Amino acid sequence: MSLVVALDIGGTFTDLVAFDLSTGTVIQAKDSTTPYDLSVGIRKTLAKSGLPISRVDTFVHGSTVAINTAIERTGAKTALIVTQGTRDVYQIGRGNRPESYNFLFKRPQPLVPRRRTFEIVERLDAEGEVVVELDVGGVAPIAERLKAEQVEATAVCLIHSWANPAHEVAVGDQLKKLVPDLFHSLSHGILREYREYERISTTVLNSYVGPRVSRYLQDFENLLGDAEFRGQFLIMQSNGGAMSPETARLLPVATMESGPVGGIIAASETGRELGVCNLIAFDMGGTTAKVSLVQENEPVIAQGYFVGGEASGLPVMYPVIDIVEVGAGGGSIAWIDEVGALKVGPRSAGGHPGPVCYGLGGEAPTVTDANLILGRLGSDRFLGGEMQLDTQAARTAIQKNIAGPLGVSVEDAALGIIKIAVAEMSLAVQSVSIGRGHDPRDFAMVAFGGAGPLHAAEIARELNIPKVIIPRVPGHFSALGMLLADLRHDFVRTYYKPLAECDFAALQKIFAEMEASARDLLIAEGMRADQTSIHIYLDMRYAGQEFPIQTPVSAHAIAEGDMQALRAAFDRSHERRFGHQAVHEDVEVVNCRLTGRGRRDRVQLPSTSVGSTGSGLIGARDMIFDGWGGAARQCPVYQRDELPAGERISGPAAVSEYASTTILHEGDVLTVAASGELVIEINRGH
Amino acid sequence: MSTLEKLDPVTLEVLRNALPAIAADMATDLLRTSYNMMIYEVQDFCCALLDREGRLIAQNVGGVSHFVADLGVIIKDGLNRYGADGFQRGDVIITNHQRVAGQHLNNVCVYSPIFAEGKLEGFAIVRAHWVDVGGLSTGFSAASMVSDPWMEGLQLDQIKIYEAGVPDDKVLRIITDNIRYPEASMGDLRAQVAACKMADRRYGQLIKRYGADTLDRAIERIFDDAERKCRNAVARLRDGVYEASSFLDPDSPGADNVPINIKVIISGEDMTIDLTGCSQERKSALNGRTLAGAYIAYKGLTGPLEPVNEGSFRALKVEIQEGNFMMARFPAVMASWSRMLPSVVDTILKALAPAAPERIPAAHLGTLGGSMTFFGVDPRNARKFILQTIEGGGWGGRPYEDGESAAVSVCQGDVRNNPIEAVELKTPVRVVRRELRNGSAGAGKHRGGFGQITEMTNLGEGRWSASNAGRRKFPPWGLNGGRSGTSSINYMRLSSEEPFKPFDPVRIMCAPGATVRVETAGGGGWGSPLERDPERVLNDVLDEFIDRDAARVDYGVMIDPVTMRVDTEKTKSLRTQMAAETKQPEGGAR
Repeated sequence: MSLVVALDIGGTFTDLVAFDLSTGTVIQAKDSTTPYDLSVGIRKTLAKSGLPISRVDTFVHGSTVAINTAIERTGAKTALIVTQGTRDVYQIGRGNRPESYNFLFKRPQPLVPRRRTFEIVERLDAEGEVVVELDVGGVAPIAERLKAEQVEATAVCLIHSWANPAHEVAVGDQLKKLVPDLFHSLSHGILREYREYERISTTVLNSYVGPRVSRYLQDFENLLGDAEFRGQFLIMQSNGGAMSPETARLLPVATMESGPVGGIIAASETGRELGVCNLIAFDMGGTTAKVSLVQENEPVIAQGYFVGGEASGLPVMYPVIDIVEVGAGGGSIAWIDEVGALKVGPRSAGGHPGPVCYGLGGEAPTVTDANLILGRLGSDRFLGGEMQLDTQAARTAIQKNIAGPLGVSVEDAALGIIKIAVAEMSLAVQSVSIGRGHDPRDFAMVAFGGAGPLHAAEIARELNIPKVIIPRVPGHFSALGMLLADLRHDFVRTYYKPLAECDFAALQKIFAEMEASARDLLIAEGMRADQTSIHIYLDMRYAGQEFPIQTPVSAHAIAEGDMQALRAAFDRSHERRFGHQAVHEDVEVVNCRLTGRGRRDRVQLPSTSVGSTGSGLIGARDMIFDGWGGAARQCPVYQRDELPAGERISGPAAVSEYASTTILHEGDVLTVAASGELVIEINRGH
Repeated sequence: MSTLEKLDPVTLEVLRNALPAIAADMATDLLRTSYNMMIYEVQDFCCALLDREGRLIAQNVGGVSHFVADLGVIIKDGLNRYGADGFQRGDVIITNHQRVAGQHLNNVCVYSPIFAEGKLEGFAIVRAHWVDVGGLSTGFSAASMVSDPWMEGLQLDQIKIYEAGVPDDKVLRIITDNIRYPEASMGDLRAQVAACKMADRRYGQLIKRYGADTLDRAIERIFDDAERKCRNAVARLRDGVYEASSFLDPDSPGADNVPINIKVIISGEDMTIDLTGCSQERKSALNGRTLAGAYIAYKGLTGPLEPVNEGSFRALKVEIQEGNFMMARFPAVMASWSRMLPSVVDTILKALAPAAPERIPAAHLGTLGGSMTFFGVDPRNARKFILQTIEGGGWGGRPYEDGESAAVSVCQGDVRNNPIEAVELKTPVRVVRRELRNGSAGAGKHRGGFGQITEMTNLGEGRWSASNAGRRKFPPWGLNGGRSGTSSINYMRLSSEEPFKPFDPVRIMCAPGATVRVETAGGGGWGSPLERDPERVLNDVLDEFIDRDAARVDYGVMIDPVTMRVDTEKTKSLRTQMAAETKQPEGGAR
């Protein structure tokens, strides 16, 4: 028996998916998340699954502990140690006010107050040369204060430590000696990139969430140990990779945004299997929709983000899958604003009371209510028939709140609600595609999450995306993706020079050092040498620009000092991203980046539909689509589990499955792939 | 083809979101591809979409707030010059002429007409701060030495640099030959043109899909809705005629204080902001043609997070006469065109404090921040460099909480300081310190935010500028019994052997080892300091923002030096005594 298990803790549900690779069986289990003590929900979910934990080979876990600790501000009492003269850099930040017309704006609230920020005498310059020697003796009195104030964690971030970490290392050694029980983070150990405020903020966050994440992981390991688990335990990261719990304990900040990444990894794997390499991953749930881009089967990575929103949030300068999120989900509430404009979201009815049609007390009409009125959701098939939906209540709510005030029919109001939600999600898709220099027509959309398959065809139509793929188990897609994640570690080193003046021996040395760190880490995490691979990049820009483009380069070009090849690679990237290049401008190198991967043995997903012989047609119901003048027509409804491979269905139609419904519009043609995905060609039949 | 069907609420909503997205994406593109830190860090630019008549359809939000809704005059002027039929697809027009633009010449506007099916449908425009436009000096640090626009730099008055997609190489050569950093500025020009092209494409797609008629009707409705929201917000303010005054420092030796006299009339849903009592045109460079002072205050009061369009200001009446220093006439010197604006906005808010007592804060730093400039040739690589950074200051206490510290002014939005490590990586400068300025916040029940101290030493030869931003004599005021914040001040020394002296360098040539220190103002306090929660006073002492003496003298809070706790009894009696002594709170706006 060969078992792999993924456990994903969301805000509402703790979600488990397991595969028995020997038999091809899928095991799914869900239970409520228990925020007061997550292990309660975990134990219940494990028990529900009935899995023999002792025989599980790999257990992958996606945790929201780090992000919740930061957002709820329940982290460790943390102290910050910085270079003399920079005590307030963390408070000052960049001085900006993104809400420029708001004279009552809020600055980010630091996680460490000034009184726990300590300066140490030392100074390096941008070359890493010592300008002022480190006063190592200065650490002892700080350590005394830390003890006296019962500080739990420290963050050390010295100016230009990215160029030379010696001083940080020395301070760190002292701290480990003097206050060994504290959680310590040194900024260069997290990232060696210039920009002190962002690096301080990242380092502080790492320390702030560190003790709690460590305890949590220890509890989790104990829990697995009690169940006699002897396999490999892996933790998901924001960059879409996995890592060992040992690494996660040192680098908890890397798990901060790991929540939504599973689905994106699964999307890129689905594309790989189907031979589609450029994808738009579209994940729509109850409260938000998330969009991200997969290029050449790799999720697109951003080099930073803000915890708590851009206007008042704390910056994290660490790789994260680039996701655009909008407040449009199944539970998003439709409302009329003060000037009579129809709005959808960002307020959501959530899971409870939820949409009006759930009959749980919700009174505000939602996207789900609109879908029900339009027949796109069946009132009797929700959650496989576990829940009966109240169409009449939905109609009444839309009539009262939307159709009445606007003077339109209930059907038109429902169509309008969907259209506005779709338009908003389309803007999100545009911003990850067109906004980053890509034409959505060159992409296929992979739609998942409970509400993704309901709306994907309409968004695709809006943006002329030719193909939509509905993967298997779209409702458990995120957990599934975690099983497919490689081990991954990202490294960065600022190296700022005009390309023409680069010392390629120095660059080679930097890459060699980063590569050694990456390989050591991967081997320590149990990878064989032949499973590891190294990918290198240079961040480059035209001289005078600020924002570099991360450009993949070859080790050969670095070894040979092939400037022509390097600049050509950058010119192409710039052209692709911004539509122009400047071949006569000087090019600067800003950062060296390296990604080390440990490729895990691929989980072969069992096909869900192979062997079905029936047509899958289970009935018909009234549905309403755009351009029908609000009139309903009978449209066929299919049951996904019963669709045989190769089956073709033309829209308008609905395909039901547990926890999700796929909608085809007129002209759309769906084909069931041999491996079970639903592949929809948009507007093909016209 | 135009559609004749009725404008449905759904299409309206889709367009309401799609139009600002175009302006926002123009900004993203410009930011990412521009070549000078005034654009990518200071975000000293704006992008907009305007209709055929030059009415504002959408403008990006985030960058510099004093560019709010000020591009219409440029397009209307272009329409006067060329006529509605005088544009072709692919034209690119450049203009910075103060006759109409009314800002410093570095703010270069580049725009393109948008055509759909052969018809002129609107304009896309990007105004961006070029590093250099020739003239007396790079940047804008020489404003105080400029005595006419020709000294300030190259004046470009509605010049077509591309006609039907073909660049005019002669004009471009004249420009590149007369500016100091042509590579950077031509890079910025390329980025500006690319952003306009992107907007043209996106707007064209909307027209193709929905039809020009539908778009027109949607836009009218969007304007109407924006106006309605503003009117609703004004209706919630108390009716009345409100007045307030403030001053800027004398703007040249021997000159008087510069008066800012504001009158605001609120009547139902109408607001009039009367600027006619402000200074007449100045002999100095402190002149502009701008309504931004009134617009920023109005926007902040009526819907700071709502998109900006023509409707956002339709219900606002601004009274201002030609010849006012904010409606100056060419060839008045406009090199310091926006310097008065933060104080104007604050004075409008001060006037309105009785109309919205629960929202109006005390005064903020009142200037465009502490700006530091150093330029020269880097001895490490023989390349020209410019370092510029803008350091924030304190904001006023609010009726419900303390003011924010070290943030840029009300005229600057997403404007960032230059990181220490970036400064040192790129220029031969060492940042000695960047810290909050202890004791600078105005005391109050809700105190002001703290100003900031930034100190830098040059390691190579070059010229320093750190100008006086013009509010030394008149610190940020308190409100409702709160005290003033501390004024800004700059210091300099030429070597480490010398003491620091108060000094505002303007293009001062320095050998290596000179140090400039810029200290920005703290915000004013709100409410009587005697009403501040003693624990919050203690917190400021523990954080070393103020000392125990200040706690006692300013706040009447006694802190035990041994336990470092508030002595409740002594505090109570001291506060009673102080309250009796000062029946009339200091610095309060009455």
